[in-house]
Order: sequence, then structure tokens, then C-alpha cells
Amino acid sequence: MSARLWKRPAAALRPAPPLLLLLPALVLLPLLAVLPFQLHGGGLELLGQFAWAALTPCLDPLVLGSALRGLATTVGMALLGWAASLVLGLALGLASSRTIWRSCCGCDWPAGLLRRLLAVPRAIHELLWGLLLLQLVGLQPVVAVVAIALPFGALVARVVSDLIDALDRRRLNALLSAGAPAPSALLTALGPPLLPGLLSYGGYRLECALRSATLLGVFGLGGLGTELKLTLQSLQFDELWTGLWLLLAVMLALETGLGWLRRRWLMPSRLALGQGSVGRRGREMLLVLAGLLPLAAGVGWALGVDPRALLAWQALPLAGLGQGAALQQLLALPWAALIGGTLGLTLLAAALAVGLPPLLLLLCAPWPPLRWLLRFSWLLGRLWPPPLTALLLLLLLQPGLVCAALALGLHNAGILGRLLAEGLADASPALERALAAAGVGPRLALLYGRYPAIARPYLAYGAYRADVLLRETVVVGLVGATGLGSQLLESLSSFAWEQLLALVAVYALLTLAGEELSDRLRRRLLAPH
Amino acid sequence: MAVAGRGAPRLGGVSLVIRPGERVALLGPSGAGKSTLLAVANGLLPPSAGQVLWQGQPPARSGRARRRQQARIGTLWQDLCLIEELSVQQNLNAGRLAAWGWPKALLNLLLPLETAANAEALRQVDLAPQLLAQPVAALSGGQRQRLAIARLLRQNPTLLLADEPLASLDPRLAAALLALLLAQAAAPRALLLSLHRPDLLAGFDRVIGLRAGRLLFDRPAAALAPGAGTALLAELYRSGG
Repeated sequence: MSARLWKRPAAALRPAPPLLLLLPALVLLPLLAVLPFQLHGGGLELLGQFAWAALTPCLDPLVLGSALRGLATTVGMALLGWAASLVLGLALGLASSRTIWRSCCGCDWPAGLLRRLLAVPRAIHELLWGLLLLQLVGLQPVVAVVAIALPFGALVARVVSDLIDALDRRRLNALLSAGAPAPSALLTALGPPLLPGLLSYGGYRLECALRSATLLGVFGLGGLGTELKLTLQSLQFDELWTGLWLLLAVMLALETGLGWLRRRWLMPSRLALGQGSVGRRGREMLLVLAGLLPLAAGVGWALGVDPRALLAWQALPLAGLGQGAALQQLLALPWAALIGGTLGLTLLAAALAVGLPPLLLLLCAPWPPLRWLLRFSWLLGRLWPPPLTALLLLLLLQPGLVCAALALGLHNAGILGRLLAEGLADASPALERALAAAGVGPRLALLYGRYPAIARPYLAYGAYRADVLLRETVVVGLVGATGLGSQLLESLSSFAWEQLLALVAVYALLTLAGEELSDRLRRRLLAPH
Repeated sequence: MAVAGRGAPRLGGVSLVIRPGERVALLGPSGAGKSTLLAVANGLLPPSAGQVLWQGQPPARSGRARRRQQARIGTLWQDLCLIEELSVQQNLNAGRLAAWGWPKALLNLLLPLETAANAEALRQVDLAPQLLAQPVAALSGGQRQRLAIARLLRQNPTLLLADEPLASLDPRLAAALLALLLAQAAAPRALLLSLHRPDLLAGFDRVIGLRAGRLLFDRPAAALAPGAGTALLAELYRSGG
């Protein structure tokens, strides 16, 4: 679409990078146009109570204790799922690296095959894994851990193999031609440059795991998420905020801690996507990694996570597609509308998530206190599980696509907003200062001084985020009329297993196609001009 | 006025008036405070003591009025501060941003605006108007210098400041660029330019010597003509405290 326009110099309309950054925000126009028709005044008073409760959270020891226990469970599940995904991802990543197959066996087709296979667990959202496992093995602590570990592991595997295959092979070849055995040559040549990228990405995955563990709780897999949903449904807003403020504190501590480590270890920032090197801190990094093992074991013991529970699974009572009734039931589903709804929701939410941060930052530019408020609202946005936002929005809006898109879009805007702020902080201030010295106002100085350099990497990350969003549409299925996601939850609650499996398969195929598309868009955005 | 620094002040007791049409050269060893003086002059750095008057007035209090004052002061930065991701045309128009409102600033990122004025600005610095559609990243070093000056012309300032614009240029380019800058500084426009080359003072009206944050001399350029100013220069560049 627009990508083709800026490749062709003859085209009259060529939005320059800073303008490209603002274009996704145009989605606000149609959204604001339909919003008045979606409003119903019913929950205005409740919403006021909700907002007031933020300032007056319940401090009753009983509530506080229960929220803390829930938080501990959620953090524990996140930590275990994350640690398992790292181990899994490292092993699978090594196994799907072309470089490694070539140096050990002389051929690289198994790597390609494994890569393609790994796309399947990656394409299915952790919530779907959680709900499927819940049906197979019942409510066990291990379910949430595995639900996080599987898709995250496949994601880490992809990043690991990409990192390895992108490394300079000359060092490796030098060691190999000097007669070193392949495993030790690989470790020596690839280990040091790989570690920072892996740790930086791994730290970021830990934040994602915490969000996912909270989300799984909202769907009944235990921990703080479950408490948040129950208190919201029973309108106990003061108790809801007790849990939220605690979660906020943990999230903030985690992000600050990881940010500190990233700076201390001089890791590449996410927008730069460059490569760092280990340097002097290598031993420290390895120590931290080694310390994670006993920590994970202790947490697993405390939560009662027992992998053996996975063995006692019970098959879904499938009727089998051979029988006409089941097949007819499948074909009766309005597939085109379901897929269309999912894609529409993805595009709407992605445009919101990508477009809101640069636009709001620009509007707030002249007032530093507002900028801080904005940063705080990003934090709230990314910490808050989208299904809860959707439930809250239902107090004001009709159920449907707009409500779901707002919930998903605001959550992801929180993630992208922080990324944009980090990227801008890393960029040189010279240009913005020069413009300000020439009498240019703070907003235009930001637009012309800082946005040009950040535009392409930010949009490229936005393309990746759109692909994540497609997978995530299932989590707001509970507000209805959102395509595959809401149909999936419906099939689940009516025990229509054939439908469920077919929906999961279609979802996965859609996600794979989306991944391919967003990869292409990203490569085009990052290509030198 | 003065500017405090860590330990020794970066500028101390500097008093200076620049009149319309004056071409003033700022000489001094590295670390003498030349860049600080220019930063105070363009409003980036408020002095810690004393005051800066612009056309007889102190800096305006309201942001808008202050920006209007600053728009009359143009700076040629040492690293040029061109916007790499934009075209030559868009960079030239960036000189008009202070005068433009939002709609035009956004439109500039989409369409070629004010092409005739931009082509004229390029002609004044001996660049071909065909460059307008080019991305800045495609220009050579000399072309970039000229583009930065052309952008200043688009800003149309009353006071031109330049922070060692000749530092990284070969002698031929440096002489040509200086001639260009001097030619632009006809009344009512004034020029304050810092440089390291006492041999290039010919076109200036006044020369100011800055050393360790203090004004060492403020003379007509003739006083520093080859032969006459040797003692002053020796004093300015003498080594040690």
C-alpha cells in the first residue's frame, strides 16, 4: 500500500518519515465518528466509583493478604514459565540454527524444517494453550507454566537461531580450520557475542511473562488475575485497586531493575536491534543465569508445580470428522465473517497502538508534567490485562469490535509508548535544540528534530507488534463479535471440541500468514534508502 | 554578563555590543568560551549574571514572543544539524518552521512547498536547484555546508551566528564559504563568527579576542592586519595560564 508509494520517486505524495509516524493515528477519525453511537450512559456512575477507588484502595489486612498471595502465585508462574521457555528456546534455537547444523553435520535442511515446525506453537497464543491444557489435564499449577513456556520457548528459539545465523562466521571458521572440535569451537566463537542479545531479549520476555501470567489468571488459571476479575465482576473496586497497585509496583520494580541491568551490561536497546558484546561483565551475567536455576526450583516447589500432572491427561471426546454432523457443524460457521472480524480488529487495534504514542507525545511536548503523566499511563496500559479493560469499557460502550479494539489498542500502546520514549531518550538532542534555538516551538521541534530518526525503527517494531496483536485478539473475545476469538471462547464453553480445534487451526494459519506479511513490511522499513 | 562553570567560570565579565551590518570575528584558543558566547547569543544558554539585550529589549517572558525573537537569530552549527531523513527541499523549509503554523509544517512533510524561494536560496549559495528533491544523505560535504547556509537564508535572520564553520574544510572551500557568509551579512544583518584562522580576517569589520572566558581585546579588523596585530595574536594564543 503506502509502502509502494515511497519507493517510487515519481509519486507526488511521499510522506516523509516523521509524517509516516503520525499516519496510523488517522484511525482515530473513523473511531471518534462511530464512538458516540456505541456509547450508553449506563455505567457512568460505576466508572466514577472505579476512578475514585484508585485513590482509596482497600487496605484491609485480609484483602491485602489475599492480593499478596495472588501476586506471589502470578509472579511465580511467570518466573517458572519464563525460565522454562529460556531453556526450551535455547535448546530449540541451537537445534534450528543453520550455522550449527552446517558446522556439525555439513548440511542445514534439518534447521529449516525445525524452524517451520516451531512456527506452530508460536502461532497459538498462550491463552489458547492454557485453555486447551486446562481441558486436557484439569486445573493444575503446571498448566499456566507450560502455557507460557510453549509459545515463549518457540519465540526465544526463533530469536536465538536468528542471532546465531546473523553472527560473523569468520571467527568460527578460523577455529574450525585450526582443528578445534565443532562443539567447543561453536561455544568459543558464538557464545560471547550471543549472550548480551539473548539476555536483553530474555529480560524483555520476563516482563511479557508477568503480563501473560496475569492474563491467564483472568481466565481462571489462578493467581492475581483471577482475583482482579472476581473483584471487578462483583464491583469491589477498592479491592480491585489493592491488587492493581501491587501489580504496578512489581511491574515497575521489574522494568527498572531490568533497565538498570541492561545499561550496566551495555546491552543493545530494542529499537537498535544491534549487537553488543560481553566485555568485562561476562562472569556476572553467567552468575545471574546460574542463580536462576535454584530460584526456579524453589518457586516450583512452593507453588506445587508438578510436571507429572501433565502425564495424566484425558483425551477430548471428539466425535470424529468422519461423521457428517460434526463436519456440517463446522461448515455452518460463518468463516468469512469470523476471519474478517479478526483482521479488522487487528488492524484497528494495531493502528491505535502504533499511532497513539507519537501523537500524544507530540501534543504533550510543551508541558513536562503532562509528559510524565503520559509515561505513567503507558505503564498502567501495559500492566492492565486487555480483557479487564474490555470489561471496564463495557460500562460505557456497547459490546463489539470497537470496545475490543480499544482494549487491545490501549494495552499495546502502553508497550509501544514506552519503547518510543526509550528510543527518543537514546537519540541525540542536538537537532531538536538547534530548532528550538531558531525559535521553533517545542512540538514542531520534536516533530522535525527527533521523529525523523526514530520513525523507521519504530514503525518496523510496530509491524512486529501488529503480528503479535493478531495472535492476541483472542484475549478480548469475551466482549463478543470480535471474530475468531469470541467464537473460540463460545465453542469452548459449549464443549464443541471439533469446532474449537478447527478454530485454533485457522487461527494458527492466519497468524503464520500475518507473520510473513509483517516480516516483509519490517524488512522494507529497515532497508537502507 | 557571565556564565558560571565547574570551577572556573566559562565566561566572566564579557561586555559586547553588535550593531546592524557589522561583521565580527571571534578569535581565541580552544576552551576560551567561544561556543559558550554563541550559545548565550542565540538564547540556548541563559547567562548566570548580567543580561542579554536584543534590539534594546531583554528576552521576552512569554514563550511565543521569545520564540519570535529567537527566530530573528540564525545559527550555523558546527555539525550543521541537517535532518538526514528529509529531502533538501524539506530541510530548507525547516528554516521557515518558526514562522509557519502546524498545517504548513505537516504539509511540508508530504508535498514540495515554496519551491521558487528554495531554488533562489540554493542559487545564492551556488547550488543547483535540481538538488531540491534529493535526500540530504546524498550530498557531499561541501554541498551540505552550503545547504546549511541556504537554510539560514530561508530563516532570514537579523543576526547570523556561526560556530567555527571553517574548522573541517580545506583552505579553498573555507575561503569560498567565508566569502559566502560575509556577502550575506550586509546591513541590517550582522554576523558573529568564531574561527581559528587569523589569516582569514580580511572581510571582517571587528575582531574580538576571547581567552579563558574573558574579553582580551575588541578591535577594528585593521588593527589585526598582517604585521600590525602580531603582538595581540601572540598574547591571545600564548601557552599557559
